[in-house]
Amino acid sequence: MQRAPAAAVALGVFAELASLIPIGYLLLRLLDGYESALAELLRPRTLELLLNTVLLTISVSLTAFAIGAVQAWLIVRTNLPFAPLFAVLATLPLAIPSYVLALGYLSVFPWFSGFLAAWFTLSLATAPYVFLALTAALISSNFAAEEVARSLGKSRWQVLVSVTWPQVRPAAFASGLLVALYTLSEFGAIALLRFDTFTRAIYNAYRGSFDRTSAAALALVLVALTLLVIFFERRYRGQRWQAPTSSGRKRRIDLGKGKVVSAIGLAVLGLAGAGVPIASLLGWSLSQQAFDWLRMGELVSSSLLVAAAAGLVIGVFALAISIWNLRFSSKLSSAVDLTAWAAHALPAVVVALALVFFGANLVPAIYQTIWLLLLAYLILFLPNALGLVGTPIAQVPRSIEEVARSQGLSKNRALSKVVLPIAAPGILAGVALAALTVLKELPATLLLRPNNLDTLATELWQETEVLAYSQAAPYALALIIIAGVPALVLNAQARKLISEVS
Amino acid sequence: MKLRSALAVLSTTALLLAGCAPQDDALLVYSGRSEALIGPLVERFEQESGIDVEVRYAGSAELAGQLLEEGANSPADVFLAQDAGALGAAAKAGLLSTLPDEIYSLVPESYSAADKSWVGVSGRARVLVYDPAEVTVVPETIFDLEDGSWEGRIGIAPTNASFQAFVTAMRVLHGDERTLEWLRAMKINAVIYEKNGAILEAVESGQLAAGLINHYYWYARAKDVGQSEMKSRLAQFVGADAGNLVNVAGVGMLGDSAEAQEFIKYLLSATGQTYFAQETREYPLVGAVSSADELTPLSEVSTPSIDLSDLDTLAETLELIRQAGLI
Amino acid sequence: MPLLEISNVSVSFGDTQVLDGISLELESKQLLAVLGSSGAGKSTLLRLIAGFDAVHEGTVELDGKPLSEEGKTLPPERRSIGIVPQDSALFPHLSVRQNVGFGLTHLPKSERDQRVNDLLGLIRMTEFADRMPEELSGGQVQRVALARALAPKPKLILLDEPFSALDAELRQQLREEVRQVLRAEGATAIMVTHDQEEALSLADKVAVLRDGRIIQVGSPSEIYNSPADLGIATFLGESVLVNGKVSQGKILTDLGSLTPLNQVSDGASGVVAIRSENFYLQPNQSGDSEVVGRVFFGHDALVEVQTPKLRIRARSNGPFAPEVGMKVTVWVRGAVNFYPSS
Repeated sequence: MQRAPAAAVALGVFAELASLIPIGYLLLRLLDGYESALAELLRPRTLELLLNTVLLTISVSLTAFAIGAVQAWLIVRTNLPFAPLFAVLATLPLAIPSYVLALGYLSVFPWFSGFLAAWFTLSLATAPYVFLALTAALISSNFAAEEVARSLGKSRWQVLVSVTWPQVRPAAFASGLLVALYTLSEFGAIALLRFDTFTRAIYNAYRGSFDRTSAAALALVLVALTLLVIFFERRYRGQRWQAPTSSGRKRRIDLGKGKVVSAIGLAVLGLAGAGVPIASLLGWSLSQQAFDWLRMGELVSSSLLVAAAAGLVIGVFALAISIWNLRFSSKLSSAVDLTAWAAHALPAVVVALALVFFGANLVPAIYQTIWLLLLAYLILFLPNALGLVGTPIAQVPRSIEEVARSQGLSKNRALSKVVLPIAAPGILAGVALAALTVLKELPATLLLRPNNLDTLATELWQETEVLAYSQAAPYALALIIIAGVPALVLNAQARKLISEVS
Repeated sequence: MKLRSALAVLSTTALLLAGCAPQDDALLVYSGRSEALIGPLVERFEQESGIDVEVRYAGSAELAGQLLEEGANSPADVFLAQDAGALGAAAKAGLLSTLPDEIYSLVPESYSAADKSWVGVSGRARVLVYDPAEVTVVPETIFDLEDGSWEGRIGIAPTNASFQAFVTAMRVLHGDERTLEWLRAMKINAVIYEKNGAILEAVESGQLAAGLINHYYWYARAKDVGQSEMKSRLAQFVGADAGNLVNVAGVGMLGDSAEAQEFIKYLLSATGQTYFAQETREYPLVGAVSSADELTPLSEVSTPSIDLSDLDTLAETLELIRQAGLI
Repeated sequence: MPLLEISNVSVSFGDTQVLDGISLELESKQLLAVLGSSGAGKSTLLRLIAGFDAVHEGTVELDGKPLSEEGKTLPPERRSIGIVPQDSALFPHLSVRQNVGFGLTHLPKSERDQRVNDLLGLIRMTEFADRMPEELSGGQVQRVALARALAPKPKLILLDEPFSALDAELRQQLREEVRQVLRAEGATAIMVTHDQEEALSLADKVAVLRDGRIIQVGSPSEIYNSPADLGIATFLGESVLVNGKVSQGKILTDLGSLTPLNQVSDGASGVVAIRSENFYLQPNQSGDSEVVGRVFFGHDALVEVQTPKLRIRARSNGPFAPEVGMKVTVWVRGAVNFYPSS
């Protein structure tokens, strides 16, 4: 195996060390008093919360998959009318923080709470991950093969199961992983919806008793759960098949009379995932009396700046690690990949506190500066970007690179001149997703931001804390509009690929 | 190479954001109270004193957690918290300096830390908020809520510091056993919420008949939508009921700087106290200032006397609440 | 009775009429080549027969049973028609063996294995049975695709430009193999292609498709020797076009008086198409034509000759091709096709 470019290795190792900070912190805390930690773990209430978490994670993962898969299939493979519009609707929930989604529903339906509410809300909030991943996978899968399968006597359903599914399976599992991890660490929405999961136990430990040892123990359980989920995903994701260069026009399946039903179904989903919350926020915003445009301007620009910086940082790291892992794979690169994911499932507050400890005590120079905040974002959201960046790089056939090498380009230049341009849409998508997630982020931003930096998300939180919904709503709307930009970038990537289908 | 150009853009952005570096000579306040509330007061202080203030806004519990992690290396000078528990946690970790007597004596002792590590700034009374259409006979004591007729109609927020302080008061007044009984009854009767504000919303929208919250939430909402639009009403229990506990928002000092002391004194001054009284309808604690007109005067609110920041007691309270299965 | 009968079929996509009034017949065990340039509608025709596109007018019947008619289309999986697409489209997640056996899952294992092995032997890929598609070369992939289509013994098999992705030598080789395999299986097949060499060498019957219409159907030699119009004449093989006028049963041209192959009306003027190989260049010191260019291919040569009135390109036997500068007399062998201008 060839040696990886030094820059990629350096960045990869840095990311790995960064991801280890929260885990190291947890272990440190645990050493302080593991007996009480153990007692905490074995309480019946804790086990009850654990069960809730597992139940919620499984049901949300399955539901988000179902929603995303149906949307992707209808939009990419069939002659669904208004497909581009439905694609936008399917991506839109990404721009809405899940606690805003919950808030949107709560303000219209005050009785909206409990397991079903949490299931409903989180499924809608995470379905776009699946939608985007499957869209890309369906487009690059071999459509002609599906037609051949039909000519060999397989019904539409059999074709789906025996030909389409094996090809989109890696994407399905990768996005399913994101969904599961998101659900594991989510707190804001389910707190609002009053359904207690394991993260509730962690928050209680921190806030109620300021008992950091117990909290650390609980957080480590979450890490263990994550590793379990990741292991499961890697084992069953299936192999990534080299996408063959298919020529000729690809056709769309005719839905016939099914068009109307499908369109209505997707419209309902779009309404649920984006329409209702946005409408309710608009309602709240319009009941506002005075409005501070200057403040809005300040917040918008700082949110954008932070998100863009974070997107870039994460994008660069994701690119380096993906190239390293996929083209020069070694044990070390796989380890980096794994640790990045393990840290991902930690509730943001845990990562934030770990970095507070790390920053204040070990590297005070960067404490409460933008750099530590960017580091937190890197630890939290690198996996999101890794998935989106990795797939297109994996799919660039090695033969293309070899051709470039044979024409005299060094391995680095072959990468930059050949692989990167082809993988550019995926890379851009990874940056967009990272920026998007950062825009919506709250707990880590609150704890680690420089003292006079506020974002739309932190401002939003301040208002909802005092229940000033009508004051919070305009900021929430602004956040959605701005987050809509990277969300639409992600969607545009998908649409560009979709337009190559017909 | 794309990597290099990305790094170039990154450094440029960084330079732009570098303007957000903390100023070393400013007073750094960690505030668990919102910017909307504290901001104007801080500005006034800056103008009147000439001292630069930088404020970090977040939740009281989160800030306490942050202070604990920062430890001795914390850059904060002042910790302004929404509840005594957060202040107590910081005090227990040895982060808060003893306040000088001239400051400590401004506030009645029952509203401050016994060890002089922090003082109360404003009071918040526990109240019963209820829907007059649903509740015709207002309960006289907190124990009335144990009755089966309240099942599914009363809201509480057990993770909220004020609730926990109130349960501590109940323990002091009636003992652990009786308290546990009451908590178990709540497990059956009460609907659990995360925040007091949510309880208020629930009563307003008809989801609940009544709830246990802090008084100023009601006034904050009345300010937002107009008092005539409020469906719910407030009530206090009869006598020195545990349910009438007055909590405090308080302030402590880290390190020992003249600026920090001045800031704290400002909060306790007539200006500061009147501000809290008018802006949030909280109870001013410094004797001379009177509370807003529509409130029951503090002197008339019967409140049990307990050490609000005794964290060990708090840990025991939490244990009871957990035993009852509420957390 | 013909196995496949396509009657007056028309297909449009939106405003564009892609196929117009197509009628074709195919007997059992015959190989039909549909020849046309890109955009002529060849792929649409195949997709229609396979059942992926619906028919707007006309009918398609296989073995007496209607497959497609206006308003009703039998789904592809019930047609028993195999397809070999342009890029073979092997299932990337299955081995060669599994690919070939894909359509046989309803059979008991022993039968299926037997059939798969037979086919693998037929396409000479037995040692590759457990390889994955990404490990195969272009030619191997096409063979597997063919075997896969043939495995369930379909009534009809459709090949969409099966050799277009391969290089010349491989193409030649594979053509032969495919023909042999199809014969061995007794398969009835339709192949669409833009390569006339392919169509002429492989098929029993050729149909020329242009702008959505069938212009001519016939055996390869019929099509080649008697192209129905100028378009076909120039499309197939190299021709020289010369203006001429009919007079007393002969065509008067700048190359002399020529014998018409088809029916001509006296006095009509039009164009004569002469195949390059129908010229005979007689070396003659006092001939009126001179060789001005020559491209040597080894087995034959394309010789450019300047006659008194025009310049022509003639095919000549390799070893005996005249050199540049030689004087020759140009003769036209045999009869020629005359296309009156209207």
